[in-house]
Amino acid sequence: MSENPARQRLRITFGKFAAMKYTSNLDVAKIWERVLRRADLPLLYSQGFNSRPRLQLATALPLGITSECELLDVLLRKRIPLEDVAQRLRDVSPDGLETCDVVEVPVSSAALQTRVRSAHYVVTFEESVPDLSRRVAELLARPNILRTIQRKRRTVEKDLRPLINEIRVGDAGELQMHVAVGDRGNLRPGDVLQEMDLLDHWHRVHREQLVLAEMEELKCN
Amino acid sequence: MRPEQIEGTLDRILLKTERPGRYVGGEYNSIVKDWDATDLRVALAFPDLYDLGMSNLGLMILYEQLNQQTDILAERVFSPWVDMEALMRAEGLPLYSLETKHPIRDFDMLAISLPYEQLYTNALNLLDLAGMPIRSEDRDSSFPLVIAGGHACFNPEPVADFIDAFVIGEGEEIIVELARCVQALRGRSREDLLRAVAGIQGMYVPRFYDVNYFPDGTVAAIKPNCQDVPERVLKRIVPVLPPPFTRFLVPNIDTVHNRAPIEIMRGCTRGCRFCHAGMVTRPVRERPVPEVLEAIGKITASTGFEEISLLSLSSSDYGQVHDLVSAIHDEYGEAGLSMSLPSLRIETASADLLSKLGDTRRSGFTFAPEAATERMRNLINKYVPTEQVLQTARDVYGGGWRTIKFYFMIGHPEETIEDVWGIIDLCKAVLREGRKELGNKANVNVGVSTFIPKPHTPFQWVPQDSKEQVLEKQRLLKRELRGPGLHLRWNDTESREFEGFLSRGDRRLGQVVQRAWELGCTFDAWQDRHFHDRWLQAFAEAGLDPDFYNHRTRGDHEIFPWEHIDVAVHRKFLLQDYQMSLKGETRIDCRDKCFACGILPKFTQTRSQTADSAWECPPVRPIAERKRTANVKLMR
Repeated sequence: MSENPARQRLRITFGKFAAMKYTSNLDVAKIWERVLRRADLPLLYSQGFNSRPRLQLATALPLGITSECELLDVLLRKRIPLEDVAQRLRDVSPDGLETCDVVEVPVSSAALQTRVRSAHYVVTFEESVPDLSRRVAELLARPNILRTIQRKRRTVEKDLRPLINEIRVGDAGELQMHVAVGDRGNLRPGDVLQEMDLLDHWHRVHREQLVLAEMEELKCN
Repeated sequence: MRPEQIEGTLDRILLKTERPGRYVGGEYNSIVKDWDATDLRVALAFPDLYDLGMSNLGLMILYEQLNQQTDILAERVFSPWVDMEALMRAEGLPLYSLETKHPIRDFDMLAISLPYEQLYTNALNLLDLAGMPIRSEDRDSSFPLVIAGGHACFNPEPVADFIDAFVIGEGEEIIVELARCVQALRGRSREDLLRAVAGIQGMYVPRFYDVNYFPDGTVAAIKPNCQDVPERVLKRIVPVLPPPFTRFLVPNIDTVHNRAPIEIMRGCTRGCRFCHAGMVTRPVRERPVPEVLEAIGKITASTGFEEISLLSLSSSDYGQVHDLVSAIHDEYGEAGLSMSLPSLRIETASADLLSKLGDTRRSGFTFAPEAATERMRNLINKYVPTEQVLQTARDVYGGGWRTIKFYFMIGHPEETIEDVWGIIDLCKAVLREGRKELGNKANVNVGVSTFIPKPHTPFQWVPQDSKEQVLEKQRLLKRELRGPGLHLRWNDTESREFEGFLSRGDRRLGQVVQRAWELGCTFDAWQDRHFHDRWLQAFAEAGLDPDFYNHRTRGDHEIFPWEHIDVAVHRKFLLQDYQMSLKGETRIDCRDKCFACGILPKFTQTRSQTADSAWECPPVRPIAERKRTANVKLMR
């Protein structure tokens, strides 16, 4: 096997606000490619016919949801000092794409996508929902939440209940949700709201925190 | 509605649309000025989807020209797709600008880009969504001045009822002059403003011209109905190309051409007789190589785009094309940039150029022979010997590329079924060459469109093929161009009829366009959204016949509906060229011999004031100087 050409791996924590909340995961990847090129970082490109910078986004964020905790790994072909990277990125980012933090992680770390486990969301309602606590209690009391999903020619039943870690009503009448995200199980806030019959209540959803396997392991120890 | 209210409504409805990212702005490099602190406000509209409009270079150039002025702001607006339109109408949400979300009605001027005729109903729809009467005569000075420009406006008549004033020709300079004019006459009546606008060279104000018709429906006369407007409106040109635009807006969502274009040359010296652009964009002006190179650097730094496209009507004719490509290779070869050089001639050198450019993303080559028999090529004045096509094919396939894409047109004047067989034979011969090199991996993709005669071209006199002729030719192509390695694409005949009557229509078509829009026509360029029966109904209600516009040979002396629009190419020259075509006579590239098309006499002064090398037309000395030389000669 040839030597790994990557010399440094940066992990960028970023937020999606304003117009950015209407961009898909593919769009975000493209936006980042261009931000990184404008910032003139020594990107490592993939080999082959359609050469692209080597980037990894942790997980997709459903359209319309804002976030302060998205994760992106970037492979570089040479090492650079970390101090001014965040500022360099901020200087060339479009409105609503906000770099919160840049850290270095080992080049050979596992792919980011495989490490995401769950996420914390906050749902705020334009007009408070009086029976919100009752709806939460009812949802959590259900032994299973079955959803039929159309997959090409067959339908499968999926139980959403095990994907819910926690749902509670916060002090300001908002909904706090901790649900599974990632390749081992993924639950969209919209699906939860639908089960609680809340989709017609005008609301905003914000992702506060992504939980990686590493963090879970830390907690257990 | 206030911008905050508009934003609030958007927040509620956007997730119900197919692609909310179209309607929010916020792109990197977009220019958001302080609304209250800026004196003059211009809305730039592209009446098609965001996904298409964002790739339009012209729009970007005007955006920059206006926003460079400290007291002027320019903001963008595109056509909402049908899902968004329905939501906007249901919510009472007016058409708004992407930058500051102000209603379009609150701007001083609305400038609509009309590059092709299929957008006319969308333009009407934009006016309506903005809460404005669609007819010019119904809008007083409380509404923004509505102007339009772009290639379709070289025959503005079908939309003359709706647009207050048209920019004829190139917009870079005139757009700022117009804005200044609107600024200076603020508070005055619409009539006063339009009088002033008509005084700007290159501006056409339809209401100051009357059109009369003969009983047979042809135009009898087009005459100014007031003092101080020109009999014919001469198009506007810029003497040299302004520095290339580099601060492209970087879309947050994927768009059709998600890359940065650099115009390397404007105009074309080839003189293909079917080509509208080739006639209306004269004279040929090239951008110097160093300017292109500098622009590439600036674009990469300011946008991060990974692909740059070098635009012109005919790249192979750009004088320094080999130097340019070598220099790009040397300077940017390692930068991870993909470059594209479209519109190449069918010749061996083209394959070399693209290899050198390192156009790595390309899986094949695209060429446009347009016709396949010698007779047809002479007739349209686009001559390429068949052997040259085959040799180019050998080079391309030999270089390892698997696909050659050809563009042909059927329906050229005087075309017979043998000429269509010519297309079939040529495509098969090219595929055979491919098979020799690559076996079954070789592909020939064939795009066959149908010729539509355009105003201001040598073919403006000819009828377009009847529906039956086109169907017969298409049937033959579909029957013969099939099987492994051959892929045929064609366009439908109804949309072709539609493009035809809008291209060569007169002012009476205004009622047809309006009625078609009232019947629900928008996005006519989208095949599944083109409702031909509604257009026919609109024609019937107006007492007009589409065949009159599409399938009639015009007499040599017939006055065209666009006769008062002067693109600086003589009618005499066009007629002569048409007559030559009927005899199979061709004209060579006019870089090698000036055929006196009319550009030089019309722009004598401009030419004499620009550098010899700035235009491909021969240099002209000022008249005074010419007289002086003549006198000297006489004295001798």
